[in-house]
Amino acid sequence: MMFAHGFGCDQHMWTAVARAFEADFRVVLFDHVGAGQSDLGAYDAAKYASLDGYADDVVEIGRALDLSDAVFVGHSVSAMIGGLASVKAPGMFSDLIMVGPSPRYVDDDDYVGGFSHAQVEELLEFLADNHLGWSAAMAPVIMGNPDQPELGAALEQSFCATDPEIARQFARATFFSDNRADLPKITARTLVLQCREDIIAPPCVGEYVHAQVPGSRYTLLDATGHCPNLSAPEQVTAAIRAFV
Amino acid sequence: MSSPVADDDLADLVENLPCGYLSLSPDGRVLRINATLAGWLASDATALVGQSIHALLSFGGRIAYETHLAPMLRLQGKVDEIALDLLRSDGGKLPVIANATEKRANDGTHVLTRVTLFKAVERRAFERTLVDARTKAEAAASAEHDDAVLREQFIAVLGHDLRNPLAALDAGVRMIGDRETLSDRGRFLITEMAKSVGRAAQLIDNVLDFARGRLGNGISLTRNAQEPLGPVIEQVVNEIRVASPERRIITSLAIEENVDCDRARIAQLASNLIANAVTHGAPEIAIEVSARTEGGNFILCVSNGGAPIPPAARAQLFQPFFRGAVRRSQQGLGLGLFIVNEIAKAHGGTMEVISSDAITQFVFSMPLTDSRDRSQ
Repeated sequence: MMFAHGFGCDQHMWTAVARAFEADFRVVLFDHVGAGQSDLGAYDAAKYASLDGYADDVVEIGRALDLSDAVFVGHSVSAMIGGLASVKAPGMFSDLIMVGPSPRYVDDDDYVGGFSHAQVEELLEFLADNHLGWSAAMAPVIMGNPDQPELGAALEQSFCATDPEIARQFARATFFSDNRADLPKITARTLVLQCREDIIAPPCVGEYVHAQVPGSRYTLLDATGHCPNLSAPEQVTAAIRAFV
Repeated sequence: MSSPVADDDLADLVENLPCGYLSLSPDGRVLRINATLAGWLASDATALVGQSIHALLSFGGRIAYETHLAPMLRLQGKVDEIALDLLRSDGGKLPVIANATEKRANDGTHVLTRVTLFKAVERRAFERTLVDARTKAEAAASAEHDDAVLREQFIAVLGHDLRNPLAALDAGVRMIGDRETLSDRGRFLITEMAKSVGRAAQLIDNVLDFARGRLGNGISLTRNAQEPLGPVIEQVVNEIRVASPERRIITSLAIEENVDCDRARIAQLASNLIANAVTHGAPEIAIEVSARTEGGNFILCVSNGGAPIPPAARAQLFQPFFRGAVRRSQQGLGLGLFIVNEIAKAHGGTMEVISSDAITQFVFSMPLTDSRDRSQ
């Protein structure tokens, strides 16, 4: 069972939920390039300009671990990344659990994503403007020893570490993505987990994903905010357990 | 047991703290907001109670709250010095720095979140200028680097292409000198022309070596430890004696061990050093060239008399395009000593310079064998 974190955090956001499945599954956690303890040197602005680059990484991890018929659990943008990976590597993931997914954040004609183009631009501007304010709090903690990051990790656990520049590009790739056409291609057994109140992926978007992914199931969680894996981990755990 | 007066003071303090204060329910709704913060927002505190935190934040701030702040608070229990933009009731934005902590019950249940906010208008403006300045500096540095690479590539190509016409000129001058009947004046001129062609060829070689070194390839060596090095040095000295017959050059060679070096490069190094001594040394004092093997090293010294090199100039001698105070006609590109030093470095060796009223001496020293071979 592979867990993937979304924009803004790292694999730590899955700790509570993943622990519940350790007895029954081989649990795989990872940080996307640019987040957490990932190798920032592996970042390639061209590759990660779209979600495909991130999906390729998921497939690469799956191949390295020789996964077949595995369960993929993706939060936020990683729900869509998992969907893309499942299409790229048929047979790797039999089950796909999408927590707070959105195939497109920006409204388009009849489609309601919840964001306007101007709002996404404002978000990107905000991330750029607050470079220093965010980097101080979020930058990976490396205690003056860049050659041995593991020392930093041992000294101070840093949650949700994100390189600010990469975070901004990840935000652009995420919030300007449009993967609506990929949803019908998903053949894995799919569960959509939706929060009651979520400004990033509102219920109407979760319902859209449910309608577009063939044979998918939909569960509305009694949770608010965008991170039920943190605010309501027991509900998320129960919903996944009931599905797999 | 606090007195009513103290309680009143405490409530008053929270309301009128010199910073904004806010408490939030676990689902992100405002439980309490102090007068200072309500004032910043140009809103009524009672109207804000019960509203979502989103109502107080700019759009970017809302997304940042959901994707970064809320998860970090759940994971760490606290977050310090986060930049946010508040949304005033008139639509304006107010930059703030926020600290937040989660209050949790004994069983770990999230009770509420406390947030303090500090105005950061000046700080944000300052940060903005810092970021702008860095972006500009990076762009300028990148453009400058591109320019430099292009310039050096141009030099390399130009130098390379100049070799062919110069080779033709050299062949023509030689042919005239060898085969044609010339007047005395013609003979003199053709000898001077041959020297000039030789000097031009050397300048081009220097420019090419310089460009290669700068373009990252460094000076390449074809090492050979077997052939004797003495005759190479002697040949260089003889060439300079022919070109400058008026100068006295004394040689003492004691090369008793094999030297693993690039012979052509060592000849180039020696030639540059001796030519420098001819140009800069006092004409009446003999130039001394000594070469020896000693203590596992090959050492080549070239000394001349005359005015010492000023201490300030000594530090820059091996920099490219450095030129000492010489007559205009003697000026080169200032690459000679730079290339000497590059050749020394390529051999794992060093260049040293000693200069006093009595003597100016350049000393090249290199290990007899390639240190990289020994380490393997």
